[in-house]
Amino acid sequence: MRLKGAAVVLSLLLMSTALSGCGFKDIDKRFFVVAMGIDLPDEGKGFKVTLRLAVPSPKTEPGSAMSQIETIQSQTIAEAVRLAKSHVDKELDFGHCKIFVLGEKLIKQGYNDVLEWVTRRRDVQSVSYFAIGRPDAATIVKVQPPTERYPGNALFLAFGTDGTESSYSMTAYAFDFGRRAEEQGLDPVLPLIRKEKAMENYYITRIALLDKSKMVMLLTPQETQLYNQIANHFGKSTVRSKVDNNNMVIAANSVRSHYDIVSGENGTHTLRLKLRVSGIIEEAPPGVYDQDWGKLEAGFSEQTAAEIKTMLEKIQKAGVDPFGFGLRYRATHAGSPKTWEAWQQIYPELQFDIRVKIHIEGTGLVR
Amino acid sequence: MSRYFYYHIVLVSLLNLMLFVPHILIRYRYQGAVTSMALAVVIGTAMTFMYTYIMGKFPGLGMPEILDKFLPKMVVKPIMVFMAAMWIIGPSIALVSYAVLINRFINPDTSPVMVLILLSGVCIYAATRSTLTLAFLVEMGMLINFPIILFILLKAVRSDAINWDAIRTVANYWTQMPNLQSVGAASYIFTGYVSFAIYNRLMPPNIRIRHRWIIPISGSAILLLTFFVPIGFHGTEAVENYLYVWSVTADSLMMNYGFIERVIFMFLIMYLNLTLIYTASGWHQAIEFLKALSNSYKPSVDDVPMKRNGFIYSTVIALLTVIYLYYVNEKTTFAISGYWLSFRMFIEIGTVVTMFIFARKGTNSS
Repeated sequence: MRLKGAAVVLSLLLMSTALSGCGFKDIDKRFFVVAMGIDLPDEGKGFKVTLRLAVPSPKTEPGSAMSQIETIQSQTIAEAVRLAKSHVDKELDFGHCKIFVLGEKLIKQGYNDVLEWVTRRRDVQSVSYFAIGRPDAATIVKVQPPTERYPGNALFLAFGTDGTESSYSMTAYAFDFGRRAEEQGLDPVLPLIRKEKAMENYYITRIALLDKSKMVMLLTPQETQLYNQIANHFGKSTVRSKVDNNNMVIAANSVRSHYDIVSGENGTHTLRLKLRVSGIIEEAPPGVYDQDWGKLEAGFSEQTAAEIKTMLEKIQKAGVDPFGFGLRYRATHAGSPKTWEAWQQIYPELQFDIRVKIHIEGTGLVR
Repeated sequence: MSRYFYYHIVLVSLLNLMLFVPHILIRYRYQGAVTSMALAVVIGTAMTFMYTYIMGKFPGLGMPEILDKFLPKMVVKPIMVFMAAMWIIGPSIALVSYAVLINRFINPDTSPVMVLILLSGVCIYAATRSTLTLAFLVEMGMLINFPIILFILLKAVRSDAINWDAIRTVANYWTQMPNLQSVGAASYIFTGYVSFAIYNRLMPPNIRIRHRWIIPISGSAILLLTFFVPIGFHGTEAVENYLYVWSVTADSLMMNYGFIERVIFMFLIMYLNLTLIYTASGWHQAIEFLKALSNSYKPSVDDVPMKRNGFIYSTVIALLTVIYLYYVNEKTTFAISGYWLSFRMFIEIGTVVTMFIFARKGTNSS
């Protein structure tokens, strides 16, 4: 019995030798990367990587966030990150890097190398955000908003559903970007972050549409909102219409959309999209209460439908499919590679039949 | 007592992720994975039902004793060694892939070999306990882990990020012929019943496993989740790229107001528990098979003190596992896992049918 006890102690001691010198580094010996920007280099080939490193601070009050910026240029992203390690005194940790900004020039040239690095690397969260930076990623990463409570917080809150939720921006997660980059019949979309000169702030009002390798077009803020309503059923948005030179705006409470692809005679295909929005009038000329609501609704519906149709035709011309119409076609037709080939023939010729139904719930607090 | 049967069924069906079952099925998603899954449900359910029938015929007897009754010793012994080997491979692959997973996601600076040595230490200790203790261990493990895993699975299904069009697209490929690797992989979900090769010793006479209709339902549900949820998250194409497809899927979930935001860490801890329990239970059965080789062996479900043989066998198993990890890379492990899953299916069908014949004979002669 005593022998057995000794054996247990001995084996525990043996195991404990393995614990020394392991990779555990204390938190005060780590630098947390909170945002990463990837650009084309100013000259030559490769990438320019900009890292925003959080400087730990005992205070968490607005304006106390401090960060250090490192910019490194290298042939590959992986090497750039290793080089960055030699610029700083602490171990770099990507575990809290929640946002990756890709420079506009880079994304116009091609994003596949970046995505490859991101999906391969184990410590990049699948739920991190992706965005495009204008004029470039480095500028966006360097912005230090005065209201930030801790480093990177402002950008984190701009996306996701924790902080602001705007109908003019959208959240693109890493896994979503990855799936759209390869999916047959669904193309990537990324929000565009812009910085105005002399303002330490972010402006996110437009989204960019990408094909399988690069960015092909930008949506206007108005179109961005329509995209959000159709693809993400985004409430907290607005619908506008113009009646007799008067602007009227409905604040949406609920947005529902549905689409299917119907094949017509002689081989034409039509996308039938139904959008139902109901909400309360937020801005309108006086006396709107006494007008015929049915007529107002029809006006709203007609104008929105026209806007959607213009947008869809624009997107169709650009040859991308951010809504996943192609995937819907594959989902509703026989499973075979021929379905996808057929869709590639169909999409450029696709007709749009947009049916919008706007429902006015009330006129707000006044008549 | 039926619940002890179901613990094993559910444990094994949840553990399929560690043996790359989703990875294999997803590789064949356009080449008959859907039909293979349907076929696997039929095969798996039939096997389970036959096996419960066999167990009912031999209450309190493990597979070594049953075979002893009908076959000469010279035939039984090689079978025992073979069965033990089958029992070592599955759990060891799970343990090895878990050690690699810890290295990838939790602590990249520790070598997977070191992690594996620590994990096998735990498993050696657990596997050498008595059969009764292990039955309780499995029960406790399932009661603690199952609700949380169910929570993660339901959270994944109800997530907004899931793309149902991608799922429907893959489901549309139901006209393809099934293929061997997919059927082998998918039928693994149902293979929990084989644990009763040893655990049947605990079963009292006149026991009936009740509510057996749960098996096809829960099995198909887990199979569908395993296969379709990653496709919903990563699309029909990109899903193939991921090696640890479920870890990445768990990472795509978020708990904003949970005590930890990233679901992956909760997922990994739950699966660490499951893997340890599964390995302990699997190695224990291998040890029992090996113990049955000696002529003086008397099966006992609650042996105190433990036999020294058990320690020796389990240490050897653990050593083999560590050596395996040291010399074999991930790619080979994937391949081996795929072959083992199909091979296992044939062995199980063979075993169950043979024992079914014995069971019929046993009842006719008595």
